[in-house]
Amino acid sequence: MEYGSIEREIHVDASPEVVFEVVSRPEHISQWWTDDARYDVAPGAVGEFVWGDRVQVVPMRVVSAEPPRLFSFRWCHNDGDVDSADSLLVTFELTPSGSGTTIRLTETGFREMGWEEAKVAEHYLDHSTGWDTFVPRLGDYVARLVSAP
Amino acid sequence: MITAVDDDLWSAVGDPTRRRMLDLLLADGEGTATSLSVRLPVTRQAIAKHLGVLDRVGLVHGTPAGRERRYRVDEAQLARAVAQLSSVGAAWDSRLRRIKLIAEAVQRAKDIR
Repeated sequence: MEYGSIEREIHVDASPEVVFEVVSRPEHISQWWTDDARYDVAPGAVGEFVWGDRVQVVPMRVVSAEPPRLFSFRWCHNDGDVDSADSLLVTFELTPSGSGTTIRLTETGFREMGWEEAKVAEHYLDHSTGWDTFVPRLGDYVARLVSAP
Repeated sequence: MITAVDDDLWSAVGDPTRRRMLDLLLADGEGTATSLSVRLPVTRQAIAKHLGVLDRVGLVHGTPAGRERRYRVDEAQLARAVAQLSSVGAAWDSRLRRIKLIAEAVQRAKDIR
């Protein structure tokens, strides 16, 4: 049973600076993934991803934060120990591409810990924060973001 | 939708020793607690216990073989577990689509300003 790492690429019509903010800042992550996220965007910072009313809390550690080209973190640590290397490493690499940005996502460390992530995914299916609830919210969210000082 | 069966399936495959046992059973076609204990740093008794867990969730099936039971992997049930795992890749696809949507909306808003 060998399950390789996940690798994805997607083109985004936004500058690397904007994309970096969206992939790295906790207030953004809680828009595209978790229900809440708390951490400093700084290498070594320890924080957490939260689903529901703290029903599921997953510790994480920021590995790299090099705006506007690289953001990576570890999560799904074995036994919740954020010092453990036995965890999943998620990396966002951003490359300028035309007037936009190519995001290259990788998630490695999968063979052992992938089961843990799948378990989280199974309990908190992305569908629950899927397009139906998400798209109507986005307009308000961006309006708030842009009007903020 | 989560069922109790899925929870049990997850905890059954969530253990590294049990996953190594599945690897060995798949490679060899079949095995007993004794044959597996020779190749893993775990006692025969512990292996027998793990086999019991795997058997209860249907990942392996045992048939009597002398004083022991001989186990084979249920590939259909294993495929089901693996399919759940592959949903992790699909989950990243939808996260990336949302990242794209948010970043492009932020960019458009900035451009208008």
